[in-house]
Amino acid sequence: MKPALSIVFFTVASGAGLGLLALLALADLCPVPLLSPAALIRGLPLALLLIAAGLASSVLHLAKPSNAWRAFARFRTSWLSREAVLAALLFPLTFAYLAAVALDTAGMARALLSIVVCLLSWSVLFCTAMIYASLKPIRQWRTGWTPAAYLLLGHWSGALIAIAVAVGYGGEPVSWAWLAAGLGVAALLVKLGYWHHGAADRGGKSALTLEQAIGVPQGVRPPGVSVAQARLFDAGHTQRTFLTDEFVFRIARQHAQALRGAALALGFGIPLIWLATGPRHWAAAASVAVLAIVGLLAERWLFFSDARHTVRLYHGDART
Amino acid sequence: MTRQIAFDDRSRQQTHFSTCYMCACRCGIKVTVENDRVRFIQGNPNHPVNKGVLCAKGSAGIMKQYSAAKLTKPLMRRPGARRGAGDFVEIEWDEALDILTARLRDIRASDPTKLAFFTGRDQMQALSGMWAQQFGTPNWAAHGGFCSVNMAVAGLYTIGYSFWEFGAPDWDHAKYFLLWGVAEDHSSNPLKIGLDKLKKRGAKFVSINPVRTGYSAIADEWLPIRPGTDGLLALALIHVLLKRGAIDWEFLIRYTNAPWLVVQTPGMPGDGLFARDEKDNPLVWDHVAQVLSNGHLPDIAPALLASVELPDGRRAKTVFSLISERYLDERYAPESVAAECGVAAATITRIAHEIAHVAFNEAVELPIRWTDMHGRTHDKVIGRPVAMHAMRGISAHSNGFQTCRALHLLQMLLGALEGPGNFRARAPYPRRIPMRTLPENDPTVIFAPDTPLKRMPNGNPTRPEDLVIDKDGKPLRIDRAYSWESPLAAHGMMHMVITNAANHDPYPIDTLLLFMANMAWNSSMNTGDVREMLARTAAHGEYAIPFIVVVDAFQSETVNFADLVLPDTTYLERYDAISLLDRPISEPDAAGDSIRHPILKPDRDVRPWQDVLVELASRLKFPAFTREDGSRKFADYRDFIVNYEKLPGIGFLAGWRGKDGESHLRGAPNPKQWEKYIEHQSFFTYPWPENMRYYRFANKDYLEFAEKHALFGTPPVQVILQMYSEPLQKFRLAGQGLYDGPQPSSPTDRERLATYFDPLPFWYEPLETQGKAREAYPFHAITQRPMMMYHSWDSQNVWLRQIVAQNYLYMNRGSARKLGLADYDWVWVASRHARIRCQLKTMEGVEANTVWTWNAIGRQPGVAGLEPGAPEATAGFLLNHLISELLPKHASDERRLTNSDPVTGQAAWFDLRVSVRKCAPGETGLWPTVAPAKRLPGDDGVRPTILRWTTKRS
Amino acid sequence: MKLGLLIDLDTCVGCHACATACKEWNGSSSVSGPLSDYEPFGADPSGVWLNRVRHYEVGDYPASKTINFPMSCLHCEDADCVSVCPTGASYKRADGIVLVDQEKCMGCNLCAWACPYGARELDQATGTMKKCTLCVDRIYDVLLPPEDRQPACVLACPTHARMFGDFDDPHSEVSRVSADRGGFGLLPELGYAPVNRYLPPREPKPLPGVDDARALLERGLASLASPVIRR
Repeated sequence: MKPALSIVFFTVASGAGLGLLALLALADLCPVPLLSPAALIRGLPLALLLIAAGLASSVLHLAKPSNAWRAFARFRTSWLSREAVLAALLFPLTFAYLAAVALDTAGMARALLSIVVCLLSWSVLFCTAMIYASLKPIRQWRTGWTPAAYLLLGHWSGALIAIAVAVGYGGEPVSWAWLAAGLGVAALLVKLGYWHHGAADRGGKSALTLEQAIGVPQGVRPPGVSVAQARLFDAGHTQRTFLTDEFVFRIARQHAQALRGAALALGFGIPLIWLATGPRHWAAAASVAVLAIVGLLAERWLFFSDARHTVRLYHGDART
Repeated sequence: MTRQIAFDDRSRQQTHFSTCYMCACRCGIKVTVENDRVRFIQGNPNHPVNKGVLCAKGSAGIMKQYSAAKLTKPLMRRPGARRGAGDFVEIEWDEALDILTARLRDIRASDPTKLAFFTGRDQMQALSGMWAQQFGTPNWAAHGGFCSVNMAVAGLYTIGYSFWEFGAPDWDHAKYFLLWGVAEDHSSNPLKIGLDKLKKRGAKFVSINPVRTGYSAIADEWLPIRPGTDGLLALALIHVLLKRGAIDWEFLIRYTNAPWLVVQTPGMPGDGLFARDEKDNPLVWDHVAQVLSNGHLPDIAPALLASVELPDGRRAKTVFSLISERYLDERYAPESVAAECGVAAATITRIAHEIAHVAFNEAVELPIRWTDMHGRTHDKVIGRPVAMHAMRGISAHSNGFQTCRALHLLQMLLGALEGPGNFRARAPYPRRIPMRTLPENDPTVIFAPDTPLKRMPNGNPTRPEDLVIDKDGKPLRIDRAYSWESPLAAHGMMHMVITNAANHDPYPIDTLLLFMANMAWNSSMNTGDVREMLARTAAHGEYAIPFIVVVDAFQSETVNFADLVLPDTTYLERYDAISLLDRPISEPDAAGDSIRHPILKPDRDVRPWQDVLVELASRLKFPAFTREDGSRKFADYRDFIVNYEKLPGIGFLAGWRGKDGESHLRGAPNPKQWEKYIEHQSFFTYPWPENMRYYRFANKDYLEFAEKHALFGTPPVQVILQMYSEPLQKFRLAGQGLYDGPQPSSPTDRERLATYFDPLPFWYEPLETQGKAREAYPFHAITQRPMMMYHSWDSQNVWLRQIVAQNYLYMNRGSARKLGLADYDWVWVASRHARIRCQLKTMEGVEANTVWTWNAIGRQPGVAGLEPGAPEATAGFLLNHLISELLPKHASDERRLTNSDPVTGQAAWFDLRVSVRKCAPGETGLWPTVAPAKRLPGDDGVRPTILRWTTKRS
Repeated sequence: MKLGLLIDLDTCVGCHACATACKEWNGSSSVSGPLSDYEPFGADPSGVWLNRVRHYEVGDYPASKTINFPMSCLHCEDADCVSVCPTGASYKRADGIVLVDQEKCMGCNLCAWACPYGARELDQATGTMKKCTLCVDRIYDVLLPPEDRQPACVLACPTHARMFGDFDDPHSEVSRVSADRGGFGLLPELGYAPVNRYLPPREPKPLPGVDDARALLERGLASLASPVIRR
């Protein structure tokens, strides 16, 4: 798939925002004061800002944004619609929650709001992931690893931001560090599992082949043979099309390796090492969070560019 | 849920019927117009050619009509500008016509041969040929000389009709179909419709072609043949049939010259000619009566195998004896030819048995009464349902003529001609063999000022006396057609015109008039040199070709070399007649012709070329266009078509003749004839009654009817199919110094005649590689057009160029691997003449020793309405640069010979041999490149970045 | 109803007639026209096509087969392109045709991602997705003569390799031919239940070959010795 920068940014930013939001809400529920009120009151708008920035970016991706308001219409069947509806619900409820926090109210209402906000955040994250995981033509995405990765990566990046907030405005950075490290390791493992699942030379039963795509098993082959290899002779156009732009994006192998390296190093390696040293400085924490986001942008970019849609078979790929 | 669907508002639309113009099919189209623009073009379901279907070219007609490449006004080379720079000024039609008329008048009044008028891809040769005859110049031809003349001449001299234009396979009854060397772009829709019929009936379809695309893709069996060796395959099939005796003896005896006696006096005049009686009838040996007999008589029993002594003591053998001796020789055994042609011996043998089985064990019998030329009635028609079709893969070789004759020989031996399931003739064929039209060759007539030729510029020579040469044997035509070098060049030799004109050899001309021919690009061999020759200056600074006029509807590479450009209309803006006098739309079961008529008004200052031709003819007072009192006969082309009669009652259009429009095929002019055609969806068909549909070369009812309606000459006689071609033997005798008449003086010409004018088909190595080491140029290099494009006309089409905008050189994957080549590698492709650089792609479906590419995708930057950065200009390439129009000079040659078939002069495109080598790193990009064309006046070069084409008003 | 197309790979010669006929019809159609062309005369020409023909080779030389493969929307029974669409622009009609409502589409591309076959293309000028409409504005246009109420691609195809009809009706021509010739849907593994059917190349009938030589030889010898043949 062609990685659209707007979508890459959208999922990483809103993922981080949603993860952060869920963690803040959970922290608020926690009997241990993981975050000071000052930290909470600054963390929540930051989360909303990240989510809003992400959503705005996703609207940029639309070819006809004037119809974006229609996106709520198909909650029943469409994960994108569900994401839109739930994200729409999230904002007023989070504002309400923010009001409760700002007014320093305590009790059931605030607790309930924090639970709802947390659940909504998880739902939106899940919906975003399911937009991709539900797409049958993309083998790499059709796996539980996808929503698992979205949720964990969102919480991992959110946790790193939370640490910065905690260090900057008060909280328990050490607890956060342990939590973040746990999330980070889990996210890394899930990411590795995802990559393994989707590898080009793997696939076995789940990878589709060009032969299947054009019906070689159903008889589309020379007479008298039962097995034959298929190859693309001509795609029917010598220049580009919407389909080649969107789906037959090819990245040179060395660039893909480099990006994966960047994703691993920046998105996991450096932050985890830094966490081990113990988060102390606000600036460092913020920088690491930003670095991690950059690494996750690379990961997300690869998420798209690694994906091999079945339409690529029709353009000559041997397998998905 | 139902949401509203908006339908077309039919009340705002008009429907017209006309004829497509994208290729040589001439399919019937239904054109829907809305808001003065073309809304939809579809096939006309009632039309005999396409019966409702329409190919990609026709379906993209909208974008042809609205192409940015359309010429908009007459142009003249800016005074002082260099020819070829494309530096023009716009002029008015009156001025343009005055300039041209004055020049033509001067030429005609002094030396008419100084006008060379050559038409490329057109469909009105009957008019342009007649115009040239009236002008008085022999220097006219269409493009057949570099396209398909081998098929035409081989057919017309053998069976009285031919592959390609003048016949069609009988799709309804064929049970086995062999397709020889037919590329994607030929015969388009009828072939496609026919293949579907075959498939539905379970008929076997075998394709003989080095490339497996297009039609060959759906073949039941694909024979990847080495280019130029089809003749070997055909003769090997014949070898097997002869060995097995799987021959239609009756057919041979009744319909061919197989039993005719051939004089055997080697080294003496008259050798190899038919033994004839005192009335010139060919002799046969009646083996029952044990006498020599006139071979035309009915009820005799001619021997097929016989060697006799003639009354004058000379020996003679039957044609069939000679055939048996030659083709039963081991030289033509499958085992001997397999390595050469690339088809396994077992396969050849099997195919021969398959076609024999189908021909003899699965014969078709139709209960149709018909009468033969001896007046005998038969109550059924027997068909040996093996059909064939063949085209450029056979034709474009220097051995194409003999190869095509080999295919016809195969058909004759099987009795597979003109019967149900065979390749059958299309009216106005079959004709007698050879046709009685000879090319004008009288120098006093040719050089006479202000005098039409007595004969047409083109014709069918039958003996050395018919050549168009002077008493010293020098060619009289600028293209040297009908000379000792190319005696049967029945379609002229367009590919030699520019070279000869630029070299003033055989003589200089004054004006070269080109219609719809892209000679400065893909329709030439040796493109680079041709472009140089068009602009070459001679001794006194004048151009070697002083004046060039280009007529076309669209801008092209050739337009840039014009001194005068006359812009033509598109096919939706004009009247046209697709005439029985030319290349008609007839089917085997029905004669037919058709028209075009204006559906749109031109939005620019253009005029239909036919109207201009009529105008020029009138101004120059051609006799056929001028009354006794000196006034013009015809107001315009419309008028000409209605009122011109070639013979009494015979005009360009055959339908609705007679004052009342009630006569068909022959009748007085009908003033309302155009209206009748338009009323009848722009076409006319005359279905043949059943009894006139088969065996027309011997069908009394057909031949008598045809003669009455000028579709056959007088008197109607049976057309005996010529397995052995006596005209060829006459030329051979001239080469051997044994002819009682003109003979060539040049040893080279003598040797060529003696070798190649074999009256029986044979196979020889294409001239290009004779004597040359094949190792230096191991690959055959050929081209074809993709199915959705034709000639060089479709890169200007917005839709079609999205399918193909650049080309690659295709090579067999296994062969590529051996050379260390992979997809998208840049390679040097070199011939003995030149080299080019391009990108390679590999594929399975190409013969291992062949490379190929799509022709005419590569274009000069800035032509065809394209922006200079178009892929056609930056990545598309021509193979043409590699082909020389001249053969390499051998020590014994006095001059360089044309790279053509020695019999017909057909340009031998596909003889090209190349080497392919990977480029060094960094050596990428097209080579050679051509400087961009200048924009024409009136073209600001602005092109839209997005086109949102619709006829709906927003 | 399950309206769809039957495409015969045995007779498709890859001429692109179906693709261009579709382009010209739908370009001026009110349903989803105009269909944009980008850089129409320029360096990187492309455009919106609702039907494309691709070409493949199956097997190795010299026994390879070339397959010409037209593809347009298969009007799946279980069309994910409809279920993933957030605005409801993508919808499936009762007659089976899947359409894109040009008023509602927001151009998010999700349906194109959901379609395994590449049947949908974004028109940059309108910002909406376009796809085969089964020429819904031809097949239901009562002002067209009945024989013209077919998709443009079906009318154009010179080898009659395309048929249009109701696959829900077992007696329709498309159903019968598909059953006869082993028509198959593309990538059934994905569960979309595509309605369009492709027909595989026919197996050629074997002909008597070398084995029949003896019979032919006898015939040949016999006829030489047979009753005399007269002109």
